[in-house]
Amino acid sequence: MDTFTGARAKAVALSAASALWLATAAAQDGGIAAPYRTMLSQVTAPAIDRGPRDNDAPGPARTSRDRRITRSGNADRPYLSGSVIVKFRPGTSPGAQRAMLALVDGAGTPHLPYADFEIVAIDDDADPEAVARKLSTQPDVAYAQARHLVYPMFVPNDPMYSRQWNYPAIDMERAWDIHRARATDVVVAVLDSGVAYRSALLSFGTVAWGFDAITIFPSLGSIIVPFAAAPDLGGTERFVAPRDFIWNDTLPLDLDGHGTHVTGTIAQTTNNNLGGAGMASNVRIMPVKVIPGYWDQIFGAPFDGTDDVVARGIRYAVDNGAKVINMSIGGPGSAPVVQSAVVYAVSHGVFVVVAAGNGFDLGNPAEGLAEFAPEIDGMVAVGAVGRDLQRAQYSTTGPHVELAAPGGDASRGGTPAGILQQTFDSDMVETYAFGPSRYEAPRFDVFAYEFLQGTSMAAPHVSGFAALLMQQGITDPAAIEAVMKRYATDLGVAGRDGEYGYGLINPRAALRGMGLAK
Amino acid sequence: MSAITTDLIVNGLARPPKPGRRRTVRCAGIVCALLGLCGGDAALAQTQPAPRRPAPASPSTGIRGFADFGSTTFTAGKSFEAVLGTRTGTIFGGGVEVLLPQRIFVSLRASRFQQQGERVFIFEDQTFDLGIATTVRVTPVEVTAGYRFGPRRWRLVPYAGGGIGWHRFEETSDFAGGDENVDETRRGYHLVAGADVRLARWFGVGGEAQWSTVPDALGEDPNSASAAFDETDLGGVTFRVKFIIGL
Repeated sequence: MDTFTGARAKAVALSAASALWLATAAAQDGGIAAPYRTMLSQVTAPAIDRGPRDNDAPGPARTSRDRRITRSGNADRPYLSGSVIVKFRPGTSPGAQRAMLALVDGAGTPHLPYADFEIVAIDDDADPEAVARKLSTQPDVAYAQARHLVYPMFVPNDPMYSRQWNYPAIDMERAWDIHRARATDVVVAVLDSGVAYRSALLSFGTVAWGFDAITIFPSLGSIIVPFAAAPDLGGTERFVAPRDFIWNDTLPLDLDGHGTHVTGTIAQTTNNNLGGAGMASNVRIMPVKVIPGYWDQIFGAPFDGTDDVVARGIRYAVDNGAKVINMSIGGPGSAPVVQSAVVYAVSHGVFVVVAAGNGFDLGNPAEGLAEFAPEIDGMVAVGAVGRDLQRAQYSTTGPHVELAAPGGDASRGGTPAGILQQTFDSDMVETYAFGPSRYEAPRFDVFAYEFLQGTSMAAPHVSGFAALLMQQGITDPAAIEAVMKRYATDLGVAGRDGEYGYGLINPRAALRGMGLAK
Repeated sequence: MSAITTDLIVNGLARPPKPGRRRTVRCAGIVCALLGLCGGDAALAQTQPAPRRPAPASPSTGIRGFADFGSTTFTAGKSFEAVLGTRTGTIFGGGVEVLLPQRIFVSLRASRFQQQGERVFIFEDQTFDLGIATTVRVTPVEVTAGYRFGPRRWRLVPYAGGGIGWHRFEETSDFAGGDENVDETRRGYHLVAGADVRLARWFGVGGEAQWSTVPDALGEDPNSASAAFDETDLGGVTFRVKFIIGL
C-alpha cells in the first residue's frame, strides 16, 4: 500500500469530510426534488469479492461532530435550517394552525407520506431550535423540534467466521444450535444508508465540492455507476418492500457501505461456505434508506437524513410488515418526532433497536434517537463492548443505555478487534479519500470484508437477536425487551449501570428460556 | 399365611355357604365398597345374618404390597401449567405396607409423575412457548405411618397418617448443557387419608387422598417459571386408587 492510499489518507479525507459542503444545494424543505439518477440497466456483471481487508488501520467512530454536511451550507449546525417539524394536536383547525405558524413567520408545506407531523418552512436565518421552542409553548402543538441530522455510528477500520469474535463472545454457536432452520417470516427493517441488495446500472450527475468553500473535487459530470448485491447476503428474494427516503423512490441502494455492513451482522448468510456469519441468517430484510452517504450528496439526492425522515422510515417499515427495526444511527437533540414513530411501531408489535452513541470521548453527549429508549418497553438502546467485553472507549454512557453488544474497539486489540462483515471495498467507494488526483467515480459492485466499530455494529446484534426471539414465538416487543434484559450477562457495576445497561446480551440463554425449575 | 386365612374365616367369606348366596354376598360387598357407603362388617352383617362362630384373635402384624395410580394437582400449578400445559398429571406408584399391632401401619411408597412440555418465557401474564421440548419427572419415595380406624377383620378400613418423603425432581430438555438439566432430591412431608376395601382373599382396593408439601424445591433459579410465579413448593394434592395384594 502506498503512502497515500493508506488509512492516514482516509482519516484525513474523512475528517475533512466532516466539514464538507456541497457547492450545489437542493434545499430539503418539504418539496421533492427530481432525482438526478437514471436506471440504465437492472442487470450488471457479478459482484466482485475482494476478501478481507485486515491491514488498514482503524479510524475513529462516527459521531455527530463528524458530519456537518448540509445542502444549505450551515456546516456547523446539527440540524437543517429553513424548516422545523411540528405535530399539531388532533382537531386543530387549519386556521389555528396558520395563526400559530404566523407567530414564527412559518408556512406549511405539502404533507408527506408516512408522517403524522408537518414540516413547516421558516426563514433560513431563523434558529430552528428557538422556533421549535416557541411553537412548543402553543397549546395546540403536541411537539415541535428542529430537523436534526442523523448519521451512522461506525468507523471503517479493516480486516470470516474465525475472525468474527463477536459471535462466540455472546455464545451464538449454541444459540444457533437451538435456532437452526426456523421459519423465515420475520422481516427486519434496516433504517440506514441503504443495502447492497440488488444489481443495477445507474447514471448520476455530480457536482463540484470541497472544503471550506474552496472547491477541491471537480464535478465528474454525468457518470455511470454499477451496483451489485452483496454476495454474502443471499438472493434478492430475501429483501422485501425496499424504500428510499433519501431519493424518494423504491431503490434504497447503499452508496456508503454502512447499511450493508449492518445488514450483514443481522442477516449474513451462514453455514454456506462463504464469508462470515450473521445473527439471524434466515430473516428477511427490508432496506429503508434514511441517511445519505457522501456519494448520495455528491449526486444531489433530494433529501438529507433528518429526524423527520427517520420517523417516516419507521412508520413505513411498520406499515409494510417489519417486525424488528434496526437503527444504527444517531443524532443530537431530542427527537419527539422519532419517539412518536417508535411508539407507533411498538404499538403495532414492532421491536426497535437503536445505537446508544459513539460520543463518549467527545463529552458523552445525549443521543437524541436513543435517550427516550428506557421510556418505551419494546425499544432498546445498545452500547458497545470490545473483544475484551469491556465498554468500547467510544461507547456513550448514561441512563439511556439498556443493553450491550459487541461493537468492536480497535483501541484494545487493533483492527481485528472490530466487527467483520462484508460491505463495499472502501477503495472503490471512498475515492475522495485519495485526493483530487485520484478522485473518480465510485463502484458499488466490489466487495470486501471490513472491520468496523461503533454502536452501529452493536445494535444489529440485538436486532438479529430480537428476530430470533420473534421466530421463537416471543412476539410482544415489551416481552422481547424483558427477556433480553433478564438473561443479559451483567458487566461492570453489579446491576444496571450506565455503561452496559443490564449487561451483555445472551441470546443462547434467552432463546432457551425457562424451564419449570431452571 | 395363617393370618390371612384366619381373617377371612372370621369374616365368613371362607365359610362354604350355598354357592348362589356366596356370590350375592360378594357382589354386595363390592358395590358397597366402591360407593363408600359400607361401614365395615355391619353391612355384611345385614346381608349375612347367619350366626358367626366365635372370632379368633387377629394376628398382630401383617405385610402387603400395593400398586396405585392417581392424579396429582401440583401446588406450583402456574409453573406446571406454563411448562407442561396442565397443573394436574397422572401418577403411578407402588409399595409395601406393614400392619402393626394397635392398628398402626407403616408404608413405603415410590411413585412417579412424568410429563412432557416445552420451555417458555413468562412476561407479566403472558406465557410464550419456545418450542424446546422438556421432560419433567417427579419421583417421590415416601414413608408413612398412620392409624387404621378398624380391626383388620373389617372389610372396609379407613385410615389416616402422615410421613416424610424424598422427592426427586428431574427436568431435562433439548439443547441443555451439562449443568442445565435438573436432578435434585428434596425432602417433603405429607398427610394421607383413605380407606381399604378387601374384595377377595388376597386382593383389595383402596381410595386415598394425600396432601404433600416439598418446601423450597422450586423457584431457586431466578430464570425459571417457578421463580417467575414465585412458586417454591413441589407438593400437591393427590387422589389415587390402590390395588392391594396380600392380607
